[in-house]
Amino acid sequence: MINFSNLPVAVRQVIAFAKRDFRDWRTYKTQVITQVITIAIGILSWAINAVYRNRPVPEYDTDYISFLVVGLVIGNLVMPISQGLERRLNPWTLENIIMTGISIPVFVAGQMAWPYIFSLITFIPQLLIGILWFGVKLSINPLSTALAFVISAMILLGLSMISVGFRLVTKSTDPITWTINTLQQLLAGISFPVQFLDSFLPGISSLSWFLPQTWVYHLWRLSMLKAAAITDPLTQIECLKGFIFALILFPIGYRAFKWGLNRAKKDGTLGWF
Amino acid sequence: MSKAAIETVNLVKQYPAVLRNVRNRHPWMAWQVGGLREIFSRKKNFIRALNGVNLKIYRGEVFGLLGPNGAGKTTLIKILCTLVLPDGGEAYVNGYNIIKEPSRVLRNLQAVLGDPRGFDWRLSAKQNLEFYATLYGLPRDYAKKRVEELLDLMGLSDRANDMYQRFSTGMARKLQLCRALLLDTPIILFDEPTAGLDPASAVDFRHLLKDELAKSEGRTIFIATHNMWEAQTICDRVAIINRGEIIAWGSPENLKMYISPEKNYVLTIDGCCDALKMKEFMNEAFSLTGVKDLRLQADNASVRISIRVDKDFVFSEILDIMVKYGLKIKDVESYEPSLEEVFIALIRGGKRSL
Ligand SMILES: Nc1ncnc2c1ncn2[C@@H]1O[C@H](COP(=O)(O)OP(=O)(O)O)[C@@H](O)[C@H]1O
Ligand SMILES: [Mg+2]
Repeated sequence: MINFSNLPVAVRQVIAFAKRDFRDWRTYKTQVITQVITIAIGILSWAINAVYRNRPVPEYDTDYISFLVVGLVIGNLVMPISQGLERRLNPWTLENIIMTGISIPVFVAGQMAWPYIFSLITFIPQLLIGILWFGVKLSINPLSTALAFVISAMILLGLSMISVGFRLVTKSTDPITWTINTLQQLLAGISFPVQFLDSFLPGISSLSWFLPQTWVYHLWRLSMLKAAAITDPLTQIECLKGFIFALILFPIGYRAFKWGLNRAKKDGTLGWF
Repeated sequence: MSKAAIETVNLVKQYPAVLRNVRNRHPWMAWQVGGLREIFSRKKNFIRALNGVNLKIYRGEVFGLLGPNGAGKTTLIKILCTLVLPDGGEAYVNGYNIIKEPSRVLRNLQAVLGDPRGFDWRLSAKQNLEFYATLYGLPRDYAKKRVEELLDLMGLSDRANDMYQRFSTGMARKLQLCRALLLDTPIILFDEPTAGLDPASAVDFRHLLKDELAKSEGRTIFIATHNMWEAQTICDRVAIINRGEIIAWGSPENLKMYISPEKNYVLTIDGCCDALKMKEFMNEAFSLTGVKDLRLQADNASVRISIRVDKDFVFSEILDIMVKYGLKIKDVESYEPSLEEVFIALIRGGKRSL
């Protein structure tokens, strides 16, 4: 038997910290459950990914490695938009910034600017590494790539403004944003085409198409792997569908942001963390 | 447009009583812990922070809002800065409505809120100011010049390139003032301007407010403070706020009169005199109109007479009687209540005392 009182003090102190944090963690039932969900979803998506490995990807006329690398690069390029605003929101400088009287769009764009420029700078080298080391084969249509960029920027800005609006009021991530972000790991088709999900649970891929992020990956891949031409009616339809998401999410995001700002001013919690 | 720099009419602010800080919990918790459900529900308990505040602050004056912790001072300042929305009443800054014309308001008024965290810690003082100068929309060359000028005015020039995180409380406060002055607005608000400063820095800062910003540059200065002495020394007028209500206002001098319309004197009389004579003197003095209280304190060497009189009591009357009784006056002290006593009396007594 280990006699705990004989352990060196330092060890018992370390254990005390762990015990405190475990007890604290255990009190958050919801948190425990959701953490388990997050882990499960992560494992699931890697497992499906492993099953899928190295098949061709007819959806985008390409091979798996090109599909995967482009997916990751897209993730690095566009996802910072959705995270940039929320993560970089510093409530302590917020009051000072608002006192300068700048407009909301300028503020939002300004908060995003650096993370976005940074990911643009890293975009090309990442692609080059994919091409040179992993033999990624790109087939880019510049015009539809530009269109994919605009549409996905609107979608992600919309999403991020929604979550910032909530964060201003609740000082935490809102449940909807959290759910969407967690599900996208599995359903948005980052590391395998969403159609493949149906071989596990028929019909589940149709759920994917309700996630805004799915459209971001889809449109970028169409334009970078398949060289989808804008003149092609099929491309037009896909872009239109994605654009509908953008058209819904962007104005909602703007409103949510304004609502959050106003609400925080009502509650007097603008500068709160 | 009125002549007032700041005017509030029946300003009311009530905060939701439930603490809605659910940070560090999981998003889904927000549904549970007084979170989203509470955000969207209508019935709530409220904390009244301002309860019908009427104030008028004139151009060019130094105005002090004096009150204990939790009285509503910060709330009022934040409402004027458009950082908090009121729940009732109106407020105008140089005639602009704070709800309808916030951007105009912010062109007329800036504030030093006293929170040292309002800058980017890893940028230099100068870089921080240049950032804000751009947000204020200052043209490039002018912004550069203005930043240098302000750093110089505050005596921060030699530390301009230091990271902000290395600044002391006093320097941070000065940098906040630099930021507030970038736009050169006619009105500057200060929330507890000298809180956390050492006495010497506090004196410097007060001097800066009173002599530089107010006297030389003619700005309207509004300070919220719980420091009576500060209000007394630099303010032209003060208002006393307690539990969200203005309970008194006026010049510091007038306020003292307000609370205590009486004066106190202590007369020290040289040597001893016989008790009978003293008693007669006391009786006669007490019968004078305006004398409220008279007390005698005697020891071997001297006699002290404390006397409390109406404020328009003619002091020479009592001197006449003293001469008549042959009393030799060694010392006269007049004693007035300090603003501090006024403050405490008012707060204890509530509005009733007026
Ligand atoms: N954001 C807020 N939410 C809830 N109550 C608040 C908030 N801000 C201030 N209060 C409450 O309002 C009252 C006035 O606060 P405040 O204006 O900060 O007073 P002061 O600056 O005079 O100390 C206090 O009771 C305070 O607890
Ligand atoms: Mg305060």
